[in-house]
Amino acid sequence: MEKRLVLKNEISEINRLAMFIEELGEELNLAPDLVFNLNLVLEEAVSNVILYAYPKEEHQEIHLTAKKSDKNLIFVLTDSGKEFDPTQAPDADITLSAEERPIGGLGIFLIRQIMDKVEYQRIDGKNVLTLGKQLDE
Amino acid sequence: MEVKILDQNGEKVVVIEGRVDTVTASDLEMKVSQIWSTPAITLVFDCEKLEYLSSSGLRIILSAHKQVTAKGGKFILRNLSREVRSVIDLTGFSRILTIE
Repeated sequence: MEKRLVLKNEISEINRLAMFIEELGEELNLAPDLVFNLNLVLEEAVSNVILYAYPKEEHQEIHLTAKKSDKNLIFVLTDSGKEFDPTQAPDADITLSAEERPIGGLGIFLIRQIMDKVEYQRIDGKNVLTLGKQLDE
Repeated sequence: MEVKILDQNGEKVVVIEGRVDTVTASDLEMKVSQIWSTPAITLVFDCEKLEYLSSSGLRIILSAHKQVTAKGGKFILRNLSREVRSVIDLTGFSRILTIE
C-alpha cells in the first residue's frame, strides 16, 4: 500500500493533511489512538516545513508518501526548503516545573516519543524526513 | 473549532469543541488571552468535546496555566478524552497541571 499527498506551504493545508491521515486510518483499519498520534506527528513535521522552510509568500510544494510494508508504516516527507534536521533539535525537558518550562519546543519531542524511527537526510537540495511506526497486528 | 466562554459557579469555563491544531490555535489563544490575566480567576478548559490537540494547543494550555497562576488564580483542565489525556501525559503536563 502506498498513498501520496502533495501540499502547498500554506497553514490551511493542515486540514487536507488531517483528511489524508483519517483516510489512511480507514484504509488500513488502524486503531483510533494510533490515527490520533499519527495526525499529531505529521502535523508537527508538516507545520514546521510550512512555517519555517520557505521565505514568506514563496509558493512551494511539500510531498508526503505513506507506505505500509509488512508491519511497518513509513512516512516520507520531502521539501526543497532551507536545510533543517529536526533530529538534531534538543529534547524538551519534561521534568521541569510549570514556571520553568518554556512555551513550545514540544513538536519534535512528540515526534520522537510516538514514532519508532525518525531519520533525516539532505538529498539533492531537499530535506527528506522518514518517520516509521511499527504496527501491532 | 468552536469556543464558548461561560461563567459557572464562580469559574470561567472555556468550552472547546472540535480540533485545536496549527490552523485553529491562534483563534483559541486570542479568545482566552482576553481573560487569562484577570487576577485570582479560576480558569477551566472543558475538553469534553475536544477531538484533537496538537503542540500548538499544548502551548496555549501552558501559557494559560502560567498567566493564571502568576496572578494568584487557578487553572484546571476538565473532561479530557483518553487520546487527549495521553498527549498530556506524554509531555509531562499531567504532573504540573490540575486535571479533573
